[in-house]
Amino acid sequence: MDTAYATRIESLLNDPAASAADMRAALSDLYDRVRTQQQMLDRLTQISDKYQQAERERGISYAEQLQRKVRRVEKIVRISDGYQIMLQDLNARLTAISTHDELTGLPNRRYMQERLTQAAALSERTDASFSIALADIDFFKLINDRAGHAIGDKVLMRVAQGMRDSMREYDVCARWGGEEFLILFANCDKSNAAQLAERVRLAIASIDTSDLHDGLSVSASLGVTEFVAGESIDAALKRTDDALYQAKAAGRNRVACNP
Amino acid sequence: MDNLVIDQSPSSPAIMADWNAGVIRMKGDSYPENSFELFQPLIDWVEAYLAKAGRPLQLELELVYLNTSSIRSMMDIFDQMESAHKKGQTVSARWIYEAANERVGQLAEEFCEDCSFPFSIEVKR
Repeated sequence: MDTAYATRIESLLNDPAASAADMRAALSDLYDRVRTQQQMLDRLTQISDKYQQAERERGISYAEQLQRKVRRVEKIVRISDGYQIMLQDLNARLTAISTHDELTGLPNRRYMQERLTQAAALSERTDASFSIALADIDFFKLINDRAGHAIGDKVLMRVAQGMRDSMREYDVCARWGGEEFLILFANCDKSNAAQLAERVRLAIASIDTSDLHDGLSVSASLGVTEFVAGESIDAALKRTDDALYQAKAAGRNRVACNP
Repeated sequence: MDNLVIDQSPSSPAIMADWNAGVIRMKGDSYPENSFELFQPLIDWVEAYLAKAGRPLQLELELVYLNTSSIRSMMDIFDQMESAHKKGQTVSARWIYEAANERVGQLAEEFCEDCSFPFSIEVKR
């Protein structure tokens, strides 16, 4: 309130004889001032409310944006996980390819060598004996020559299947070479291994191949030996090979054991 | 505007963006050392095309493996297409995968989940 106006009001109030007209004029003036003040106050309140509203909306849109970003990151993570599983599958497939023989589906020579190394290490630590057998299909070259390689491949597949079916679950049979298969008999001494090898021999000899080629039959010779703790795998393989040679020399389609 | 051609490498896909045809082709694996470097020119190209060309845009994908930052970049491109589609522009995508690799198809499905523009996923013939 300005000083001139304040002085005017005070002098009117202090003057008992002030005229009604003067009082009225002062009151009207005062009412104007109050109204103007009120309008300004309303305006201020409105502006303040608007700012508050804008701030609140800004907060909500931040929250929305953040939520959108979180959803997006979650999606990226999910898809990325999917690609990782894809790579793992591929890895498993490649591992299978690198450890298995394509034609017969049996483990390959590389895989078997790894298993022999493990079995040798285990036998040295725990005295668990194991035996190995080398099987060779009799006259396989003749089969290939007479019936052709495609039939030869089918014979190999059937022999592999026959071996798989006639072995114990925990023994391993690998395709060792062309028509040679190596069997690892876990926890097994020589005499037991000879019996198991005989079972394999019988299974192979009973495979019917007459549908593949006229008069075609199949048999295999097997050499068996027991691993001696401390020796090299090559030494054991050499004994197995010698036993196989004996089986062949004795007329084939039989099992020979090497001490 | 020029076409954008990036040759395929063992860790990055072949990228061919044809301005006149309105087609982008991407083919191969994507796990580049710096995915920003690889994808930014493409993202810029898409932005320019959608802003200036005034023609439909078709995205042809034969992508197999994508690392995480490549996934992010692809989603950026799909986002660009999605907003163009919402503005009424004609955009579409086609993701082709080998039948032997079914998982690629499943992942393409995940990509297209939030896209409302035409997005087809097909086995390669």
